Amino acid sequence: MADDLTIEPQTHESQLSVVSSQLQSTMDNGRRTTDHRPQLVRRLLRLWRMYAILDFTLLMANMKLAVIWYLSDAVINLAAVMALLLLAERFAGIGAWTKDQVIFMLGYATVVSGLMNVLFGYNVLIISRRLGRGQLDHTLIQPQPIWVSLLTEGFMPFSGSSVLLPGLGLLIWATHRLALPITLGWLALLVLNLAASSIIVMSFSFLSGSLAFWAPRAAEEISSSSIRLLTQLKIFPLDGLGPLLLGGLLTVLPVGFLAWYPCRALLGLNPAGWSGWATLLAALIFAIITVLIFRKGMHHYGRTGSQRYSNLGHRS
Amino acid sequence: MDALVRNATAISDIVVELSGVCKTFRQKQRSERLRDAVRTMLRPPIREVRALQQIDLQIRRGEIVAYAGPNGAGKSTTVKLLSGMLAPDAGAVRSLGMDPIRERVRYVGKIGVVFGQRTELWMDHPIAASFEWKRVVWDIPRPRYERMRDLVKELLGLGEFFNSLTRELSLGQKMRAELGLALLHEPELLFLDEPTIGLDVLAKRTILGFIKDLNRERRVTVMLTSHDMAELEQLAGRIVMIDHGKIAFDGPFERLRREVSDHRRLLIETANGAPPVLSGAELVRSEAGRHEYIFDAAQTRIATLLEQAASQTQVLDVETHRAPLDEVIADIYRQWQR
Repeated sequence: MADDLTIEPQTHESQLSVVSSQLQSTMDNGRRTTDHRPQLVRRLLRLWRMYAILDFTLLMANMKLAVIWYLSDAVINLAAVMALLLLAERFAGIGAWTKDQVIFMLGYATVVSGLMNVLFGYNVLIISRRLGRGQLDHTLIQPQPIWVSLLTEGFMPFSGSSVLLPGLGLLIWATHRLALPITLGWLALLVLNLAASSIIVMSFSFLSGSLAFWAPRAAEEISSSSIRLLTQLKIFPLDGLGPLLLGGLLTVLPVGFLAWYPCRALLGLNPAGWSGWATLLAALIFAIITVLIFRKGMHHYGRTGSQRYSNLGHRS
Repeated sequence: MDALVRNATAISDIVVELSGVCKTFRQKQRSERLRDAVRTMLRPPIREVRALQQIDLQIRRGEIVAYAGPNGAGKSTTVKLLSGMLAPDAGAVRSLGMDPIRERVRYVGKIGVVFGQRTELWMDHPIAASFEWKRVVWDIPRPRYERMRDLVKELLGLGEFFNSLTRELSLGQKMRAELGLALLHEPELLFLDEPTIGLDVLAKRTILGFIKDLNRERRVTVMLTSHDMAELEQLAGRIVMIDHGKIAFDGPFERLRREVSDHRRLLIETANGAPPVLSGAELVRSEAGRHEYIFDAAQTRIATLLEQAASQTQVLDVETHRAPLDEVIADIYRQWQR
């Protein structure tokens, strides 16, 4: 017990390094739990189940409003891709892309948006709001690694599916019309690419959103602006762009990886066999950079805390 | 005496220990003048706010400690340090034998935190849903959860609105639910940051009574901040006062009154309208033969004042009152500001 109360002499720097390792410690927890992976998986499933029930009961609280809201959300999101669809219809495709290939790409892009809505609601995706509004404190007092909270708390499989379902519809329709030779390997590659594109969206949002660690007021809405930018641009085929612009759209603003590039690979428009894995590699690189920057942000947060708090309910 | 008591305390009884804790915040300064705004655009002047300076504090198991001080004194910073939300710049924080930052996940499972101006409740769901959420996230075994849920429902009177939407509840109902939520996992240590802010007398009484019972029956250690001194005195045996980041007082309320001053009010009713002149007492109010004085009982004996009054006029009635603690504290804050 005496050991418990031993006060370790700690310098300022050592304290800060402890704070900066908060995110690391969440990873450590993850690493520790690799020995108990089934428990971690069970915990994640339990949390997702609970958030799914919360989402369902919220939707069912007022059925009439829920239906109106759900349908209008689906219409708005489909309308966002309709302009390109009409162009493809009018000109029998866009550039090198046939009409059905364009539909496939729009479906893919919509599914990525849908996955984001389903998995990362309640301002998890728009992380700058949580940081800027001082709401990270709520996450810090939960007895679980931060990444577990962020991975599960925004799960909205019912109210968030108004984008995912139409997206899946488009994707299946286009696949059928294209008469693609669907194999288990191709389906796995599709799923992996969708996951990779989602990780890139998440990373981009967290990368820009991390600015809110340093400028909570000014950067409170930066994640929503970033997401809007990606959403608006990701539906366009990028063929024919110069190397500089294309390079920019695959790195600085990684729009190309959210639909265009993975769809080229999945539709066999890229000659290189490894192209199906390029989006996965990009996702890995973006995720690593994001973790590093977010850790730096956590380091800063541990030092300064939050100087402001917006009492909007900490998930909105 | 206090030091002796503390030295005699078993080490295992100390649940919170701050040693030489310092915390400084840096605030950018802005000027309203255009010229200054441009000049300081890249390098704005920085003001350092020393929120905590060499804080040493120990809290024993089962204590209720009132943590008070004027706005900006460092109260919330301390609570954040102890809740694992903030790291000290220097010094060490140990609580329940753990480092709140390094062992955050394990540590926060053993504490309860309630911020009066923040909520953990799900606003668009009934209280019942927030409780269920807590059970899953905190991984509380179901029998233990059900026992605690029923207990807080009964003691805090949550039953009548347990299935109502949080958004539709009154402030008092929300705060009762908030407190119940914070206790579901049976924390050993409870941090309450202004838990009764904005509540009416009845709601305050319910919450304070509950905290007191909880402490008595379950030995939950409580650290409570509030601006309502009467409330703090009613609940806590010990008050720690912080000013400009330093502990200015640490001891029982009685000693606080004694050390600062023992201000009392003297109300005299006389036959004629003129107030008697009393040396050692200050006339506060005089109306229709009723005269109110304030005096320091440590300096001036009440009998002396009454003798003076009786020698000047016919005294019909006399009342004395201790000054409310709020006045004592206001005096202290005024002294600190000087």
